[in-house]
Amino acid sequence: MRYYETLYIVNPNLENEALDTTMGEIGTELENTKSKLINHRVWGKKRLAYPIQNQKYGSYILLQFEGSEQDKMNEFNTWMKLNNTVLRHMTVTLDEKPDVYVEDVKEESASEETTETPATEEAPAEAEASEETESESLEEATAETDENESNDESEDSEESSEKETEKKEAE
Amino acid sequence: MAFQSRKKFCYFKENGITDIDYKDVKLLRRFVNDQGKIMPRRITGSSAKMHRKVVRAIKRSRSIALMPYVESGRE
Repeated sequence: MRYYETLYIVNPNLENEALDTTMGEIGTELENTKSKLINHRVWGKKRLAYPIQNQKYGSYILLQFEGSEQDKMNEFNTWMKLNNTVLRHMTVTLDEKPDVYVEDVKEESASEETTETPATEEAPAEAEASEETESESLEEATAETDENESNDESEDSEESSEKETEKKEAE
Repeated sequence: MAFQSRKKFCYFKENGITDIDYKDVKLLRRFVNDQGKIMPRRITGSSAKMHRKVVRAIKRSRSIALMPYVESGRE
């Protein structure tokens, strides 16, 4: 089975509940085609590069699914076109199975930051905590420098080869 | 030679990028001029394979209004 990704733009004036209901409608319509939903999430409200139906902004919604029969997919496509709340949509085939989007990732990182920052602020009493964070940052820095060095080396080798070729040409 | 041009390089080879997502507007902006036109390969220096991918990604993001077809002097 192939995997597909549909990105569609919804009228930005829809409020949260209305947006949820339209997303639900679209989800059920797609499930009627025997496709399996993988991801269905709001990407965010963005400024459109050019106005569509006199709208300057639009809410982008990303939908990733495992496709079924072609005929049913075409029906879904026409249904989307006729849907008035959808300003525009585009379906694209994916090369690989998409990862299931997990919202928790952001929350975890945020919670880590919140736990770390007060420790550093209270720092003078708790020197250990701050030291830990410093060592971590140092490690990160070294990793970055390593990467940079490797890049530099590759560039150097390229440059040297270029010089050689130039010399040959000169001769 | 009095004028030696800077060596062009393939941005994707340098950064180890193999696939281009049409939703990555920040990346695609590099390959478009101020008017929103796709820049030729002879200027960007990208390899033929990657240039084809860039072109496809830019055209896709244009059709979903992430990137402009034409950028006339806005404001």
